[in-house]
Amino acid sequence: MKSKIHEYQKNNFKVMSKKLALILVVFANQGFSQGCSDAGICSINKGFTTEEKNFKNHIEIAAIFGAGESDVRYVSPYVSYTKRFNDRFSFTSKVTFSTATGSFGTRSQFGDAFLIGNYSFKEKSKKQWSALLGWKFPFTASNLKINGYSLPLDYQSSLGTVDLFLGTNLNYKNWDFNAALQIPVFNLNKNSYFKEYGGTDDFPSTNLFERKSDALLRATYSMKTPNKKFTFKPNVLFIYHLGEDSYENIFSQRENIKGSDGLTINGNLITSYSISKQSSIELSLATPFVVRDVRPDGLTRSFVAGLQYQYSF
Amino acid sequence: MKKLFKLIPILFLILSCQEEGELTRTPQNIVPITPTAILKYYGTFEPTSGIAVAGEAKIYQEGTQYKVKLDNFSVSDGPDLKVYLSKAATPTDFVNLGNLTSQTVYPIPSSVNIEDYSHVLIHCQQYSHLFAIAELIQN
Repeated sequence: MKSKIHEYQKNNFKVMSKKLALILVVFANQGFSQGCSDAGICSINKGFTTEEKNFKNHIEIAAIFGAGESDVRYVSPYVSYTKRFNDRFSFTSKVTFSTATGSFGTRSQFGDAFLIGNYSFKEKSKKQWSALLGWKFPFTASNLKINGYSLPLDYQSSLGTVDLFLGTNLNYKNWDFNAALQIPVFNLNKNSYFKEYGGTDDFPSTNLFERKSDALLRATYSMKTPNKKFTFKPNVLFIYHLGEDSYENIFSQRENIKGSDGLTINGNLITSYSISKQSSIELSLATPFVVRDVRPDGLTRSFVAGLQYQYSF
Repeated sequence: MKKLFKLIPILFLILSCQEEGELTRTPQNIVPITPTAILKYYGTFEPTSGIAVAGEAKIYQEGTQYKVKLDNFSVSDGPDLKVYLSKAATPTDFVNLGNLTSQTVYPIPSSVNIEDYSHVLIHCQQYSHLFAIAELIQN
């Protein structure tokens, strides 16, 4: 019986691997577009994590490498700590950092602090719901400069907004479905970049930028190798930007940024390797294939690769 | 694990830096005033409370292009100082000419009707604090 299950798992894994390879080929042929780089809404599914319930504490250290608009390249490390109070409730805190390099130079700074609470409801008929509530606090007003020159949002380590996260997750067998909202509640953005004075047409003006909310839907399928050392989590992520962002133009008038609203679809493959019961490493590769026409928030990536180390105790 | 915790803030401090690139290298966008330019307006900067300022704002015309020149200018340090061509002594209706940097000449966009503007202001945008006001007088 055991060997039959093992054989079934093997075959199932082979079929899924082929499907995954096909998805990756499709994604790889999609050219440049907006990626899932937002340290906020793209990564909050971590707050839903329900896999590891044997340990009370969980630390994660990661470095994310990304290619952005124009010639901008990113290295964005973060540290997160999750405290599990009981089987139902956990709390995650996270601090991000970002280094952006391109024609404007190199700018590094802390980005945001996240505080996220997660509540898991009782499992019923193999379905488990959980709910998430969190806040994001910026470390900067998104007005970092180099040599006194204002920088586009693409070079800023934070969007300069205090955001509220509301989300829910449904876990059913090997599937996870997330839905979430990221709502900018307080706008502290004091960015002062003007395209007119920037010396390049690569980035739109974002002086005193005001941002609209995002809605997220994500579907993730998890599969483990028979020895349970490797876990693969291909997922598809839909983000809808719920309105046009705006900025104050050089004539002191607020102007909507046309085309800054709309849909982004990302493909993401997470590969996790379990080193021991307490620790694992994870490689995450993401690329987008549907984007908004204009992306002034500097969250655009053509490709993202993340490397994470997780330790539980 | 404890060592790792100690290393993290040190690593962050080392990484926290800025380095100029081709678009932020000084000097950049230096716009000269040509000898043939005509002085159209001028005004002496007056400080607001707690600010020290010296110098004049001068508006020159070169063909159809107008430019603001800050002459013998100095002002107290501020985190996000801008040069505004304003319709009043307060920053309510203005043209943002950009960051106050080591450059002294700021081109005025061609769509601006210069006669509608009466002041040059130095304003800290990030903290919304007015630093200096120059009321323009026709030459």
